[in-house]
Formats: sequence, C-alpha cells, structure tokens
Amino acid sequence: MDRPPIEPLRTSHLHNFLDDAQLDQLQEATLKILENTGVKFPSEKALKIFAEQGAEVDFDSQIVKIPRNLVLKAMSTVPRYFTLGARDPELDLQLQKGVSFFTNDGCGHDVIDSLTGERRASQKSDVGMMARINDYLTSMAFSWTMVSAQDCGVTSPLHEIDVTWRNNSKHYQSVTMMGEELCRYGLEMAIVLRGSKEEVRRRPPISLIVCTIAPLVQDKEAIEGALILGDAGIPIAIMSMPTMGTTAPATYAGALAVGDAEVISATVLMQLANPGTPVFHSILHAWADPRTGGYVGYPLDSRARYAPVEMAHHWGMPALGGAFGTESPELDSWQSAAEVATDPLLVAFAGAEIVTGIGLRDTYTLLYPEAIILDDDLYHQARYSLLDLEVNSETLAVDVINTVKPGGHFLSQKHTRKHMRTSMVRGVIHQLDDQGKYQNPVAYAREKVKWILDNHHPEPPSEDVQKEINRILKNADQMLSK
Amino acid sequence: MSEELFNKLKQAVIDGEPEDAVKFAKQALDQKIDPLKCINMGLMPGIQEVGELFSKGDYFLPELIIGADAMKDALDILEPALVGGQEREVVGKVVLGTVAGDLHEIGKTLVGTMLTANGFKVTDIGVDQTPEAFVKAIEENNADIVGASALLTTTMLQQKKLIEALENAGLRDKVKVMIGGAPVTDRYASEIGADGYAEDAISAVDVAYRLMDAPV
Repeated sequence: MDRPPIEPLRTSHLHNFLDDAQLDQLQEATLKILENTGVKFPSEKALKIFAEQGAEVDFDSQIVKIPRNLVLKAMSTVPRYFTLGARDPELDLQLQKGVSFFTNDGCGHDVIDSLTGERRASQKSDVGMMARINDYLTSMAFSWTMVSAQDCGVTSPLHEIDVTWRNNSKHYQSVTMMGEELCRYGLEMAIVLRGSKEEVRRRPPISLIVCTIAPLVQDKEAIEGALILGDAGIPIAIMSMPTMGTTAPATYAGALAVGDAEVISATVLMQLANPGTPVFHSILHAWADPRTGGYVGYPLDSRARYAPVEMAHHWGMPALGGAFGTESPELDSWQSAAEVATDPLLVAFAGAEIVTGIGLRDTYTLLYPEAIILDDDLYHQARYSLLDLEVNSETLAVDVINTVKPGGHFLSQKHTRKHMRTSMVRGVIHQLDDQGKYQNPVAYAREKVKWILDNHHPEPPSEDVQKEINRILKNADQMLSK
Repeated sequence: MSEELFNKLKQAVIDGEPEDAVKFAKQALDQKIDPLKCINMGLMPGIQEVGELFSKGDYFLPELIIGADAMKDALDILEPALVGGQEREVVGKVVLGTVAGDLHEIGKTLVGTMLTANGFKVTDIGVDQTPEAFVKAIEENNADIVGASALLTTTMLQQKKLIEALENAGLRDKVKVMIGGAPVTDRYASEIGADGYAEDAISAVDVAYRLMDAPV
C-alpha cells in the first residue's frame, strides 16, 4: 500500500519573539558562563580535545573553561542546513527555512495496552508498532525512539534501531544510544544499511540525541558516543532540559543561559573534534513547582516558549524544538490537549527545523498507542492554520452570491456542489459512523491504529542487509550483555 | 544566656540564615553551652517550625532547603563537640546516592533535605555511585535505610544491582531499600524487591517513616 506523502509545517511568516538585542544578551551570558564558570566534562577523551585546542582544562574537577575566541571559532564550522537521510531516499529531509519537520515523542517507558487496558513496561514490539504507525502518518517526517525496548537489556538502543528499520522507512533519531561501544555498533548498522561509510556521511540514516545534565554538566557516555558518530558525519542533537528553580535559576532568561551554555559547550567539542559535524541545538526548559519541586512543562505563563529556537538560529545552528509534552496522564482529557494545542503553531512560527514530538502522555513517559492519532489531529490543525488563503474570483463567488440573493440558500448551487465536499476537512472530531453520526474521537483513533497496523507494511531492509544486522545484534548482545 | 542563644539558633533556621546559624553555634561552644541542648532546644524546634510552615503552604522549597542548610551548617559545628555517649536523637539513619553511570543530583538532594528536616540523619554519598560504594557507606553509617536514585531507563538497572550487592554482603535484612527517579515506578520497585518507592521528595518522607515503623 502506498504511503501518503510527508506534510511538514510550512510558513512564510516566521515570527521573532525576541529581538536582536535580547538574543545578543543571551549569547553574551553563555560566553561568560563558558569562559568564567565552565562546564563539567567527565570524559578524559573530551578533556584532552579541549586541552589540545587551547581551552582551560582542570583534569581533577573535569571543568572546562572555554575562551570566547575558541567558542566563536568552533561555532563558525557548524552547518546551518543539511540533509537527514531516510532509509527510503524519497523520504530524505533537506533542512530549510520556514519548514518544520516533526517526529513522535520519546522516550517513554510505560504502555497502556489498548486491548487489555493494563499498564505495563514498554517492549521492543511496542517500538516496532509505533514505528509502523509513524511511517504511515503524514505529520511524521522522521522517527524517534518512542518507548524503550526494556525487554532487550543493555543493547536495547540497537534493537530499537533494528525494529524501527523493519517497520519504518524514514530517518531515525535515537534517543537512547549512549556510550562508545553502543554507538560503534549503531554506526556499523548504519554502514551495513547504506553500503559504505561515504554514503552514511552523505545521507545519514540515523542521528542521535545527546542530553546534558543541568546545571552545566555533560554525560560521559552520551558525549563519548556522540564523538564516535560525529566522526562519521552523523548528526547530533544536543538537548538541555534546565528546570527553573532547581537545576537552573528561577528566572527564564537565566535558565535559557544555563541551557545554552550546556548546548554550546558540547557543540564546540563536536566542532573541535570534527569541524563541520552537523549539530542541532535544543533547550526544553521547564519550571519546578515551588511547593513540590515537581516538573511543570506548561505553566500559565510560558511566554516566548520557543525562544530557544531563536537562540539556535542566532548561533547559526538548526533547532530541535520541543512540542507536545503534556503532563496529563490521561489519553483525552481537557489538559492533555489544551496544554499542547498551540505548540505546533508557535514552534513553526519560530522556525524550528525539526520538532519533537507527538503521542506520549504523563510528561514523555506514557504511551497510549492511539494518542498519536489524536495529537496528529492537533498537528494538522496547525498545518492548515499556516496555509495561505486562496482569494480569487472562483473562491470569492460574487456571482453566486448575487444569484442567491438576500434570504436564499446556497445548497442548490453547482458552485456549492463543487466545493462543499472539500471546504470542510474532517479531523478526528468529525469522522462519520455508518449511521452518519459523528464518532467518538478516541474510538476512531483506536480504529485508525488498528487499520494502519493491518494495512500498512513498509518495505523492510533487504534480506542480505537484515542478515548482517542480525549478526551485529547477536555480536553486541554477546559482547555487551555480559 | 543559654535560652537567648537557643532562640537565636532556632530563628536562624526558621529565617534560613546559614551564616547566622554558624555564628551562634560557635558562640555557644565559646560560652561552654551544652551542644546537645543547642541541637535539641535550638536547631530541632527551628527545623520543626520550618516543616510546619512548609506543610501549611507558607514556605516553599527554597525556604525549606535554606532552613535545612542552616541547620546542617550549625550541626557541623556542634556535633563534633558532643562528648561521651552523647548523640542527637534521630528517626533513622539514611544513606542516599545516585546509582553508577548516572550524574543526576537534584532529586536525591531534595529527598535528603526533606528527610533531614523531618528528623532523619542523612549521609549523601553523591552521584555515580557503585553498589560497592553504597554497601561501604551503609556499613560505615550503620544505616537503617538506603535510598538509590536513577533518572535514566539505562541506569535504573543499577538499582537492582544494588539490591543484589546488599544480599551478597549479608546486609539485605538489616537495611530497607527506597528507590526513586523519573523512569522508576511502584511496579518496578516491587519487581526488583525494593521496600519502598516515592515519586517525589515529599512522599519520600512518608515512605521513610513507614519503613522505620514510625508514626507519619
């Protein structure tokens, strides 16, 4: 069955929520933090790279202070636009201005089984199921590790790649692959898929999320894995998640400065190690509830929500924006939709090149398989909102209005017959049942999931490639699971 | 004279002024005032009031944490001066840390502060700690409870390894195990044989009280 084409969010009306003076101030704060406070890199390999390139490195405390000239020199080699290769070349994504490519959310660890209603730990089969649904949906331009393959132990990140490729033809961004060893195996899988290192570099079929640890600490495993993949030309997304009041100042600008310093310090490392490595900038900030310390992603005042996207662009980097992170554990509560409803619109206006991600609940942790269909609907609302209005003699229909005259109706007009079917686009709320009545949106979403799983079967990797991947997996399981 | 200093110590904790708490603790020792009385009649009523103000919603986390810091800083001065068999009364002794391979600090630190404010003696061994390091700290501190934090799906497996290490060291019957962290659930705690799970620092106090068989 044919796959419907990817429909990214497009707009020619990019909007700046911050002005240049504010962006300069934020950048200056980052430069000061990097130069005076420093960032902890608990990796001998990273510390050596910094030391060789002229940063001030304390090997005992593992704190690196980076002079501004070194930061600016390293940042000059970050590419602004590049290609995210897909398994199917027709689905390659060319980053460009005014286009936002979305993916699903990640990385959850619990699943509400749609058949039994029971809550259980996520498995490899869930990763495959959601990869297949992602492959069918036009909102999904690439694929993320939606839930963790917890039945696969320490090599789960490699099994997640395997099962995604068997169910999905789009670009895959791993959220879980950490450490040199796992990343070497992941790279080996990518080379097998592409046929050569050169092809991996030209059209990288995978990319990697690297999370920092606020405030101002890098993760050894994440950074060392990223260095392996960056060396092969595989894009890296550096993601900071500062929380105001606990892991960052309780002021928004201060939290952004901490997050930015984390992202930029890791980006500088990537550039010093391999100039030109494609890197995405990402800050997913949150608030700590002042009473409980709990994570709050959507307080009433979250002004300039996508300021990090503009900060990325100010550095000359593409941005990974964060959308759809509802805290509601419910599938279809008012909260689960209301919190995130304006996200896709705002992130597209800010111009994020790639965006995560739809379909999870309970702050990125809980999967209802049908949630992705409900969120997909919000996505398309935003997509339609951004489309240009068609104004011409046919759509103005002045002649038709003149024919109907005051007090008449339009149902008997050929013009109406021609346009009425398509003028109202049906979302999940307006799907008809066989009685001509509107269906319950959740029931519709469940049917849609079942229909996709029954009918959509993307072409898996060739037998030869799969055989090689199986060999790599077996080898990794044997070597790393000891 | 003693009464006045006890009140000053109490107020330094309530107001969240660590520098004052240290100053008054030093004054008390200079004036040969019994350090145990300073703790029991100054610092403890202070932290109890902080806890009550927090429970009522008058205080938020920063007031609670800075109040606990004031108490801890004063304790660092007063406790070494305790003589003979003197020991401050505690609900229980807790060893806390984040598991190996995981550098996330804040959740575990909040739990430690909440437990301290509620009468526990907490030894925080820091982040990226191996099961062996936990075992050593439990033995050294004669701990009643060990708390292990993990923020990643990849590191939560270490919580299970800690329980195995406790069994191998013959400590499993002597120490209760509490676990927490974003990916951790009640179900996972049961699966790996932990004694308690708390989803945030406030509920961690209730769990710790329950594990000590103390009234909440």
